[in-house]
Order: sequence, then C-alpha cells, then structure tokens
Amino acid sequence: MTTEPPPMPLSGEEAATLSALDLETAPQPPAPPLKKKRNLPGMPDPDAEVIALSPKTLLATNRFVCEICNKGFQRDQNLQLHRRGHNLPWKLRQRATKEVRKRVYVCPEPSCVHHNPSRALGDLTGIKKHFCRKHGEKKLKCERCSKKYAVQSDWKAHMKTCGTREYRCGCGTLFSRRDSFVTHRAFCDALAEESAKAQTLSTDDKDGVGAGVTAASSSSPPQPPLTPSTSVVSPTLSIQSSEIPENATRLSPPTTCVAKAVTTSTVLATVLASSAGAAAPSTTSFPNVTAATSLSLSVPLYLSNNVNDLRHHYTACPQPSTTAALSATALLQKAAQMGAASSNTSLLRGLGLATSSTGYHPQDESGIDNPIMQWNMSSHVKQENPSLADHNLGLGLPCGDPGFADVMMGSPPMTRDLLGLGIGGNGGDNVSRGGLSALLTSFGGNFDSSGDAGGVRHQ
Amino acid sequence: MTSSSLNSDDPCFDGDGKWATKLLRECARAINDRDSSKIQHLLWMLNELASPYGDSQQKLASYFLQALFCKATQTGQRFYMNLKSASEKNQSFDSARKMILKFQEVSPWTTFGHVASNGAILEAFLEAGGEKNKKKKLHIIDISNNTSTFCTQWPTFLESLATKSSDHVETPQLKLTIVLVKESLKGSVMNEICQRMEKFARLMRVPFEINMINGVEHLWKVTKEELGIVVEEEDNDDDDEVFIAVNCVGGLRRVEEGERGNVIGILKSLSPRIVTIVEEESGGSDDSCITRNDDDDFVKCFEECLRFYKIYFEMLEESFPTISNEKLMLERECSRNILVDLGCNNNNNNDSDHNKRERGVEWSMRFREYFTPIGLSDDVVDDVRALLKRYNRSGWSLMLPSSKVEGIYLKWRDQPVLWASAWKP
Repeated sequence: MTTEPPPMPLSGEEAATLSALDLETAPQPPAPPLKKKRNLPGMPDPDAEVIALSPKTLLATNRFVCEICNKGFQRDQNLQLHRRGHNLPWKLRQRATKEVRKRVYVCPEPSCVHHNPSRALGDLTGIKKHFCRKHGEKKLKCERCSKKYAVQSDWKAHMKTCGTREYRCGCGTLFSRRDSFVTHRAFCDALAEESAKAQTLSTDDKDGVGAGVTAASSSSPPQPPLTPSTSVVSPTLSIQSSEIPENATRLSPPTTCVAKAVTTSTVLATVLASSAGAAAPSTTSFPNVTAATSLSLSVPLYLSNNVNDLRHHYTACPQPSTTAALSATALLQKAAQMGAASSNTSLLRGLGLATSSTGYHPQDESGIDNPIMQWNMSSHVKQENPSLADHNLGLGLPCGDPGFADVMMGSPPMTRDLLGLGIGGNGGDNVSRGGLSALLTSFGGNFDSSGDAGGVRHQ
Repeated sequence: MTSSSLNSDDPCFDGDGKWATKLLRECARAINDRDSSKIQHLLWMLNELASPYGDSQQKLASYFLQALFCKATQTGQRFYMNLKSASEKNQSFDSARKMILKFQEVSPWTTFGHVASNGAILEAFLEAGGEKNKKKKLHIIDISNNTSTFCTQWPTFLESLATKSSDHVETPQLKLTIVLVKESLKGSVMNEICQRMEKFARLMRVPFEINMINGVEHLWKVTKEELGIVVEEEDNDDDDEVFIAVNCVGGLRRVEEGERGNVIGILKSLSPRIVTIVEEESGGSDDSCITRNDDDDFVKCFEECLRFYKIYFEMLEESFPTISNEKLMLERECSRNILVDLGCNNNNNNDSDHNKRERGVEWSMRFREYFTPIGLSDDVVDDVRALLKRYNRSGWSLMLPSSKVEGIYLKWRDQPVLWASAWKP
C-alpha cells in the first residue's frame, strides 16, 4: 500500500488546499456534454472536484479531527460544535469564506463502474455505503430471512419490514411469507392466464420500502427515483391487479386506483398499468393506459437510451397479446443486473437469452388452441369465487370422487377372491365360514360402498 | 368362532387409551404367527373401531388396517395396483396443487428438504469456478418423489437463482430434468406443471428448460441416453460449461434394497458436481424390514412403521385445522405408503414395491462408497432455521451434524423425522 498522509483536519477553509494530499490519483473530470441542474445518480457535475479516497480513508469513521485536542468526529457539524467549546479567537473561528467546490467521490475498487470519474457519486456517505455494499463483506444478517447486509442502515431498514410485508398474488390471495408466495405464484392459475392479468409482486406496507426496493437494495444501492414510486404505487396496484381478473363488479375500486397510479406518474406505475391494460380483456377500466404505454419500463432510469429497443423486446416476448410480465421481482432482477453492469447490454443479452434459449416456447402462450389451456381456463372460471373466498379452507371436494367409487365398485373380484382365499391360505380349516365371510363382507363392503373407508385414496 | 362383541373388559382398553396401537401390534404379531383366528378377530375389531375421520387412534387403526389386511390375505400387490391406477385416473392438477401447497403452508415437512437442497445446489453452483465470460449453465436432474410434491421445490430455486446471481453479468441458464420413477404422473398433470414452470421462469427472467421423463421403471437401469441430454453435455466442447446437480428428495427409498448400491453408482456416472439427498428418517439399522418368512421380521418392520407413521399422523393433526380436505388427502396418500411398506409381500413377486427403509446413517454409508460428504454451509443452515421459525407450531427443530453423522435432521417434538445431506464426487 502506498504511503498516504494521515487524515488531515478538514475544516472548511483548509479542505480545498489539503484535498490534494488526500488524493492517490487526481483525475480531472472530463466535461460531459450536458449541464444539468440536478445531477442524475452517478453522473456528476462536470465542475466538481473529484476525490479518490483509499478504502482505509473512506471507511475511517472519524474523519473530522479537532486541531486543538485531536478529538475525532464523524461529522463536520459535530466538529464545529465542538470547536466552539475551545473559545477560539474570532479569526480562526470563521469557516472558509470562499466557495468550496462541489466534491464528488470515486469508488476505490478498480473494477467498479463508479471508479470512473464520470460516474462518481456526489455524496461521501453515499460512496461509503456503496463501497461497503458492493465490495465489502456482508457481516449483518437478518434473522428471519437470512438476508445479508454490509451497511448497517440497510440492515436496519430491512429488519423493520421483514416479516411485515405481505404479498398478493394475481389471483387475490394474500401471503405473509415470501416462499409460500413464490411457490403459489408459480403454479397459480393467475400465472397461466398471463394474458388477462397484470403480474405484480406488490406489497401492502406503507413504510416506504416496497418489495422491489428492498430486494434491489441488497444488490445495488437503492435508486431514489424507484423508491417512492414503489411504495406509493404498490398498494393501489396490488388491489387493481388482484381484483381485475375476477369479476366485473370488483372493478370500481381499481378505477380510482388507476387514476391515482397514473397521476403519480411514476414509471413503475405506468409499467404495471400498461402491462395490465394491454393484457386485460377488460381494458375499459384502464382509460389512461394508452398514454402510459409510452413509458415501458422503470429500467430506462438506468438505461439512458434503448428504451425503445427494450419495448420491442418486450412485445416480442412471451405472448403476442401482452407486454411482458413486469413484476417487481422481474424489475428487481433487472435492477440488480443494472447495478452490476454499467451498460444496458447485459439486460438485452438477458432478454436475448430469454427469447432464444432452447427451452423457450413462445407458442405456449397462444394457448387458445391448446386444449389444456382451455381446460385450465374453464376450470379457473369455475373456481373464481371459491378460490377467493375459501382459499384457505380447502373447499372443493376432491375431484373425481364419484368416479372413484365406481372404480372400487368395479373391482368386486377382490371381495370374491378374498372369500375364496381365506386368511393366510393355510389356516382355512380352522376358520368357520360364517365368521370369516362375515368379517370379509363387512370389511370388503366398506371398501365398496363408500369412497372414503379405510384407506381409499387418491391424489 | 363367532365374532366377539367388544366390551370394556377387553384388555386393549386398559391404560393409556392407545387401543389402536395395541390392537395393531397384536394383529401384526398374529400375522407373523399365522394365527388366523386371532388375525380375523383383531381385524374385525379394528374394522369396527377404525375411522379415517376420527381421532388419532381411530385414524391410525384405519390406515394400518388396510395394510395388515392385505398382508394377511396376500393381496397387497393387487390392491396396490388398483389404488395406484385409481389415483392416477383421478389425479387432477388442481386438487394436487391445493393439497401440496396447503401442506407446505402449515408444515415444513417437505420444504425442509427443499430449502436445504436448493441452498446447497445454488451455493455450489455459484461458487464453482469457471471463467467469468463463460455462460453459466446448470442442469439439475431431479429424481425425487414428485408424484407427491409436484416439483414444488423449484419455484423458490428459480427465484433464488435469479436474485443471487444478480452479481453475475448474465443470469445463468437452468435446465431441469425430472425423472419419475415407478410412479408416474398423468400426462395432463405433467403438462400443467411443465408449462407453469416455464412461465414462471420467464417471469423470473431465468433462461429455462424443463423435461419430464415419466414412469421410469427401474432407476438402476436408467441410462444416460434415457436421461437424454446428459451425454451431449459431457461431450460439449464449446465454451459453455455445464454444472450438473442431482437432486433426490425421497427418491432413494423407492429403490429395491438390492439395487441401491447400483443406483448410487449410476448417479456417480452422471458426473454430478453435487448430489443432494433428503430421506425420511425411518427404518431399522440391522433390522430387516423385508418380509421374508422370517419370524419377527415382520413385527420389527411393523413396529418401525408404526412408530414413524404415528409421528407423521400426529404432525398432520397438529399442523392442519381439524377439518381439512388436504389433510385427508395426505393421510390417504400416506396409508398407501404404509401399504407398500407393510402389506406387499415379496414372496412371489419379482417386482415388489416393498421397500426397506434406511436411515440417514445407512444412506451415508452407501454414499461414502462413491461420494464425499459436503457439509451444509452456515448460510444454508440459517436459511433452514429461518424456515422453521416461520411455522407457528413450535414442535419443529433442527439437529445439526455431529461427528458421527452427515447432513442435518429435521425434528418434530424431538424425534428426528427427516434427513438432508449433500455430496460431491
């Protein structure tokens, strides 16, 4: 490790002059063509001064040191507060009068996308957290779900919501456990009828941490634009997505939700609404969808260009009649991919994989011709109400019971054989015919007459 | 001998009220001793008292009665075939799905094995070396008891794969080959499962392919060719490296005892990088449960069956609400297993479905001939712990491997009931 100067007191006026000593490298930021008022994440102000701290310096907790007593502080404000107590002469008390240039920080990890000055982050705390999250060891673990975190604030935020989150499937069922939800989802009729529903993995909590965000935070820093949108939108969308496919009568609440979703004009909302709207047969409930379809994904936040390409990809994807299913999980999947790679090519490749992999059968979805799909649809229609109201009661008699008794009836030879054999085959002499037949008839009779007696089973 | 009436003087009603246990035991003994009058008497009593809708003793009586009856009359094989074809006929994707999902909601019996296996496979796969720019491909060969669990292991695996591999540049490809041994799934049910898995994988954005191989009669006879793609992959010289994993949840005990060594050898020949095994913790160590006409063997076998299934029924009783269709379906399915374990006499049958049960320790010994054990990592164990915490019934606990045993055990009320382990070549 190269020798580096000890952390110097960084009171305001000295910061600019001393910053050069902190630098291991001092690259000047290239001037990006656009000057924006508000910087997009990872695209810093071109006039900003780029600071590259070593990992050690970055992670040092008490960067601000009092020059008088050498006490260290985590924050500059705290240091200033402390300095007042030293009764400094007024000259030294003042902070820097000249403007301090805005500072941006690069990640010390060479392979990281944020190592490049053009993708530096503007916030020291932000770069610290980023470094820990992506390149650090995850020492903190959630007890409930075993998720691991490197940054304590991430972990705490997760602990608040873990276990309180609820998942709602497209079919209307509510789950408190993610694993039950996932398994249910995979086999749910709602999935089979993708053409009729919006696919969402929505949350009901209002703590501001949506499913997509929380999961995304484990793999990449939460992107601010995504955070509020998910939390605001998801409850409403969960209602809309879960209820739309079921009955026409249920659609009145969702219409207000849709309006709300669109007016918040979050990309996530429009994404989900658009996939719902384009997909649902009952499109009348989504008047605003057509406007929304212009924004196909929340991912454009990460992908500066190529939104159109993505949209085309999606329309080429699964069903001809729907835009792609864009669940929060799918989005987090993309978000995770985006967080890792600086470009959009991985997503496109991922999509390319999805469309061109050997196992991929786009034909599956045009299911109307498929008799199994038809059967499935009709059975779903039958089960609509029971599945909503009685999902957990397991109502619905086991299928095929009437048929089953027939099968059992169909094997009376069993009874006859038993009568013929006698018990054990070789003890027959000692058994009185009357007793044996009585036993066997009563026993065999049980099997024949009711479908349920002693071990009749079906799956 | 006339059928005796039941009176409260009968000794079976003494004591702790476990009348069914006593009667069943006596009946097993009588069968072993070939005391036909006693057999008849006991079967009659059991028949009178048993009910699949009653309390736990009544249920126990009901589900064991079937097996004992068949054992006594040597009709087990035929009865089993009838039941099997009946159940296949009546198989419906919807009812099966409802049953298994509800079961997984109320009890970690199946999900324990799934979580342990998924964790082990995923970890091994992601940690596997390989150059960064090569596409990562995973081929899982699943030889589990999927006629009971309907591939419910895989959705959460897909989700984990999608999430945890997000650090990688691309989502790895997953190919799943489901091998159904002996039992088979109805064509329509198979299709449903395959279709839904494919759609779900699309939702998860995981490149995915699924293949179901139905009704393989004897696992030891299965060839790489039958499993199809495996051969091609091994010869695959191009850039893609395939990580092969074998997953076997409840699949081994269905193999005839004599062939188990061969089967494990076959597994080895598939060149898997990891093999995950989950089995019910039941069976004798030196007791033979194969019913030759040896004295006492049947009784021992019966005792072990009784012990294990009693726990299982108790667990079902505790986990489900009192009235539950799904519970009933599971009990029926279980009683069919009891029939297989007890009622099928392999005297005359070359192709008996009767299977001796082995415990984790014994399976371990078999596996050690071909494989090395991999300990389940702390992360996987934590995942299993977190899983058990999610179930309200506090009867569940985890038993970690000691120096003598491989793998981890799921315990219900302090009795080990399931065993999960991972192996590598």
